[in-house]
Amino acid sequence: MTQTMRDTEQLRPPKRGMRAMLRAVFSTSLDLSAPRMRLAALGFLVLYAVIAIKLVYLGFKPEAATTRRAAAEAVAASRPDILDRNGEALASDVKVMSVFAEPRRIIDKDEATELLTAVLPGLDARELRERLGSKKGFVWVKREVTPHQRDEIFHLGLPGVGLIAENKRVYPNGPIGAHVLGFANVDNQGIAGIEKYIDGQGLADLHGAGFGVTPEDLKPVALSLDIRATHALRDELEKGVTHFKAKAGAAAILDVNTGEVIALASLPDYDPNKPTDALDPVHINRMNVGVYEMGSTFKALTVAMALDSGKVNLNSRLDARGVLSFGRFKIHDYHAQNRALTLPEVFTYSSNVGVARMAMGQGVERHKAFLRKMGQLTRMRTELPESAEPIVPKNWGELNTMTIAFGHGLAVAPLQAMMAVGALMNGGYLMTPTFIRRSEEEAKANAERVVKPETSEAMRYLMRLNAEIGTARRVNIAGYYVGGKTGTAEKVINGHYSKNKLFTTFMAVAPSDKPKYLFLTIMDEPQGLPETGGYATAAYNAGHVTGEIIERVGPILGLAPRFEPPHQPFPLLAKLGYGYANVPARGGGGH
Amino acid sequence: MLRLLNIIAVLALVGSAVYAYSIKYQTSYRAEQITKTKIEIRQERDAIAVLRAEWAYMTRPERIQQLADAYLSGMKRLDATQIVTAQSLPERSPRVDSIGQKLDALGLSMSATPPVAGGASTTTPKAQGQSQERRKP
Repeated sequence: MTQTMRDTEQLRPPKRGMRAMLRAVFSTSLDLSAPRMRLAALGFLVLYAVIAIKLVYLGFKPEAATTRRAAAEAVAASRPDILDRNGEALASDVKVMSVFAEPRRIIDKDEATELLTAVLPGLDARELRERLGSKKGFVWVKREVTPHQRDEIFHLGLPGVGLIAENKRVYPNGPIGAHVLGFANVDNQGIAGIEKYIDGQGLADLHGAGFGVTPEDLKPVALSLDIRATHALRDELEKGVTHFKAKAGAAAILDVNTGEVIALASLPDYDPNKPTDALDPVHINRMNVGVYEMGSTFKALTVAMALDSGKVNLNSRLDARGVLSFGRFKIHDYHAQNRALTLPEVFTYSSNVGVARMAMGQGVERHKAFLRKMGQLTRMRTELPESAEPIVPKNWGELNTMTIAFGHGLAVAPLQAMMAVGALMNGGYLMTPTFIRRSEEEAKANAERVVKPETSEAMRYLMRLNAEIGTARRVNIAGYYVGGKTGTAEKVINGHYSKNKLFTTFMAVAPSDKPKYLFLTIMDEPQGLPETGGYATAAYNAGHVTGEIIERVGPILGLAPRFEPPHQPFPLLAKLGYGYANVPARGGGGH
Repeated sequence: MLRLLNIIAVLALVGSAVYAYSIKYQTSYRAEQITKTKIEIRQERDAIAVLRAEWAYMTRPERIQQLADAYLSGMKRLDATQIVTAQSLPERSPRVDSIGQKLDALGLSMSATPPVAGGASTTTPKAQGQSQERRKP
């Protein structure tokens, strides 16, 4: 009994102690344990301070990039598809496998090097060993491996070597449209052309901010190009450049009502799938990046300026006798007639003297102002990042005005000249050419009226007349009511105009009554051939090629051929009293 | 009474646990399926992109031209004169019952021919359609 009593007595104190302890734990009698509470509070304060400091430290410390993150940053990002105006693919992303390595996780680097170079024969063993020996967390072994190589690498089972899917940009059409498309590098960043433009539209910012852009998020970009027309144009141009042994050539089709570039080719060109070729300066886009003296095609601008001012009209006569002398300079006519010519004759005989007199009738300042209004004196900016500043004479005097009147002394990008002539054709609206699809309304909204509708119609009449009886007869393709203007400029070699190194241009509009397309072909140093009688002037080469292009591209672009001459093609001119404009011209003019 | 309640409670507990487990299991199963399907969709998308690129590559105008030059040697480039407008199509010629005329010429009476319109009397499908239309009302 005593035993049990002692037992219970022994048991009791711990019970009481526990209760006391519980009470002490859950009691909030601050007055009793203030120092201890303060100590505890201090302890926690220190603890939280340490955590906060550590957080700040971690926040500022450059984190050791995890492989996944490093890979996500390194892999080529996805880009939107590029389509032509009919929805044909021009550029697209495909998934390819790339091999990467994490040097820190590779156990035997020499063995890894040996095995990898055995599977990927293109790799330099020493260079790879160096890369694997680096302290980096992520290195590329090889970008874009074949499916077979991918399987072999997978079966090697090397620790620290992995495969990752990347986007590779492919251009299924090769060189067709290459100058417009530009290209993307191995990291899928746009380097040139529309590809660079797309990056500039915010895609690069998204990628830079680390947003994983999936292909589904990206809307395809529809270009203004028609891939079939571009191919046909390039094919005909290639034939022409080879046939006439030209150094280079370029051609383009512009929709004059919307300012869309429907087709563009510049030879020699490159395959955007092999971007290294694009850097060769021979492969520049001659339509947009090269600047040239456009020769007589510029006469269209001079004549339009004179007509628009009202100082001359279609019935005006201009003295084109002999040689126009200015100081020690003499201006000759290539097809000299040595008589007073009517304005249409000045155009069809391509009289330098006539247009020089016309420009002088306006004066230097008005000539300059007109060309500035037509966008010929400042750099033209399209979507393409590549552009060129026109070469404008520093001290523009009377002689400059005389020579620029017939296209010598002012070098512009050919596409820039197309923009101006397009405005003369479409009723007088100057619109910057675009490579992105747009409607006529959008184009008109940003267009600026530069000449009167009557002037535009008179210019179309002159172009048509020139194709009927003048220097542009080679493009008078039956059914399309084409109008055209030749241009032959002598190239400047060592500071002098060279008689046998020519730069030829040809501008054509179809159809002349309801203008739709403007064609331009340029050729650098074409040679005279026996069948052209040894002549290398524009009508024989650039003109011939333009004719071929119109004939071939017409059906592709849906130009409806008409074999009866249109009834009253130039109604405004008829109203102004030039009824003869609506009667098809007969007889010979220049050549 | 109390024991019965306990048993019911235990059973309910076990039942709810099983139910909760099955729901959780199904959820993770479905989640797995979704992930798998997403991967499949991505693979299909990639495959479509590759096929599209391949299609564009195979149908590029340059290649079509080469093939056409090689295998369509009898064909020529489309000429503008080959394109005509709908208005320039000639008017449909009046229906001529050539067999009937022949029969008349042979002196056979019309009543001898079976009264079948269309088929026997006309030669072009267009004319057939026309005659059938005429029979409708």
